[in-house]
Amino acid sequence: MNPLSNALTLSQLHSAFTLFTSLLVEALPFLLLGILLSSALLFFVDEQQLISRMPQNPVLGSLFGSFVGFLFPVCECGNVPVARRLLTQGAPTSVAIGFLLAAPTINPIVIWATWVAFRDQPQVVVLRIVFCLIIATVVGVIFSFQKDPRPMMQPELAKRVLYRLQVRQAPEQPALLQSGTYLLGQSGSPLRLETATPADFTPPTPIKRFSAQNFRLFMDNMVQELRELGGMLVLGSAIAAAIQVVAPRELVVSLGQGPLTSILAMMLLAAVISICSTVDAFFVLAFASTFTTGSLLAFMVFGPMVDLKAIGLLLSIFKPRVIAYLFLIAGQLTLLLTLSYTYFF
Amino acid sequence: MIRLKRLYPQLLPWLDVLALFQWGALLLKFYVSGQLQLLIHPNYNLLVLAAGAVFLVLSSLRAKHLIYRRRTGVNDGPLQHVTLFPPGLGAGLLLGAAVLGFVIPPAILASDTALQRGVNESLPYTRMEAQSFYNPIPPEERSLLDWVRTLNAYPEPDAYRDQGVDLKGFVIHSPTLPSNYLLISRFVISCCAVDAYPIGLPVQLKTDREEYPQDTWLQVQGRMATGEFDNRRQLVIVAEEIETIPTPRDPYEF
Repeated sequence: MNPLSNALTLSQLHSAFTLFTSLLVEALPFLLLGILLSSALLFFVDEQQLISRMPQNPVLGSLFGSFVGFLFPVCECGNVPVARRLLTQGAPTSVAIGFLLAAPTINPIVIWATWVAFRDQPQVVVLRIVFCLIIATVVGVIFSFQKDPRPMMQPELAKRVLYRLQVRQAPEQPALLQSGTYLLGQSGSPLRLETATPADFTPPTPIKRFSAQNFRLFMDNMVQELRELGGMLVLGSAIAAAIQVVAPRELVVSLGQGPLTSILAMMLLAAVISICSTVDAFFVLAFASTFTTGSLLAFMVFGPMVDLKAIGLLLSIFKPRVIAYLFLIAGQLTLLLTLSYTYFF
Repeated sequence: MIRLKRLYPQLLPWLDVLALFQWGALLLKFYVSGQLQLLIHPNYNLLVLAAGAVFLVLSSLRAKHLIYRRRTGVNDGPLQHVTLFPPGLGAGLLLGAAVLGFVIPPAILASDTALQRGVNESLPYTRMEAQSFYNPIPPEERSLLDWVRTLNAYPEPDAYRDQGVDLKGFVIHSPTLPSNYLLISRFVISCCAVDAYPIGLPVQLKTDREEYPQDTWLQVQGRMATGEFDNRRQLVIVAEEIETIPTPRDPYEF
């Protein structure tokens, strides 16, 4: 091959830009919809009620957690704060882990977007959901052997859970007979300072009612998420388009056709690229013609569970060792499931 | 410079307004100008239109809020949120992408992309499977995609011998074909331009293919025959009449 044919021509640059635009044009409506719904539901779903109905059985718990994504259609950037809230408010570990791993995939918008991208291969859509459920359940069950979530969590956060658990274990004991620091005269019953969340100190606002204040918060949340996730999407699309045009075809094909190498490459890409789960199906389409279907699945199953930008967020909940286990187990399971798909189908 | 630094926090919220507005305008522009069909499958045109409208509404609501805040001097205070980017970068990226989208019109994918993605000379494959062997479209009216679908359902080239062909596509000079053959090709889109995949059938010419440079759009009329390349029998169009046509407004098949 002569060196000239390797150089990036203007027309190649132009088609790369076209691919970039097409990714954005296809993905932005879905991102917008996801943000719209999740911002709206954050104001309308009563978490306390939800937690009181959560099953304690580990398998049911992680399944329940996985399907909570239908109530909070968040992508992987939005789910960490929600999981954190669930944990501190006393949700079982299995539910929180199930939610953390599966909610970014198992929600209506992501399923719809995946279907749009893989209309011709419906098995991809189904397997994405099934694999994700399996992994979330298995990891959820494994982590639920640790009945008390506190040793896994960052000390500051664990303190809050500690008191909530104690209170739950001794419900008939009047609050004032327990030791601790209390705020009196807040809303009838004394409020224990250790269990208080910042929300307890702000005057309660009527959440369910439509008010100008709520609408402003809703708008702020939307614009903020759009700005960040949109910026991420722009970067991700640029990388996808560039790989498609710039990467030498021989390399991509040799990497993409090996059953194991393709899966490993896609998992690595998924961890590095941190693209939002609402739109990752479109991103992975760029590789649909050269990479094995198993590896595309690996990208879409592993990506929402693990990515570099989520680590920072996860560190606000868990200790580093727990995060490492979480990622390793999820990664191994993804590899196992997608590799067996490649071999058996 | 110092002035700019002081102004920056005040200008930052307006960057959001601008980015939202630009994207709304860009999506609507793509929709109105018909350039959308160079980017995505027509099934999702309405989705893009709706998204464009929502972006514009968001942008105007945001602008209204900022003006209101400025007039009344009410400050929102810092919003608690986990930020991934330094402020302004996310909105800046969005704004930049939208501005570029305005300036640079989408390109029509051509032979270089097709060769990069590997247009399959032997038997082009499609991911859309034909539902039955019977094809109700008469041979002369089949598009390239119809032919490839038919061929996928029943790949024996002799079955189509001497059937009439009349189809449009662009020229690819495939390095694996002899010089009196060209590949008549089109891109097929199932979601967006990112997954556009090239399909093609070899055309046997009476002359050398250099007469028809790559990426020229042709209307080819002829008959089907069986050819053999690399010890593989495959369907070949024997050209009887070739006409150069301008690039169609809808270059992709869906």
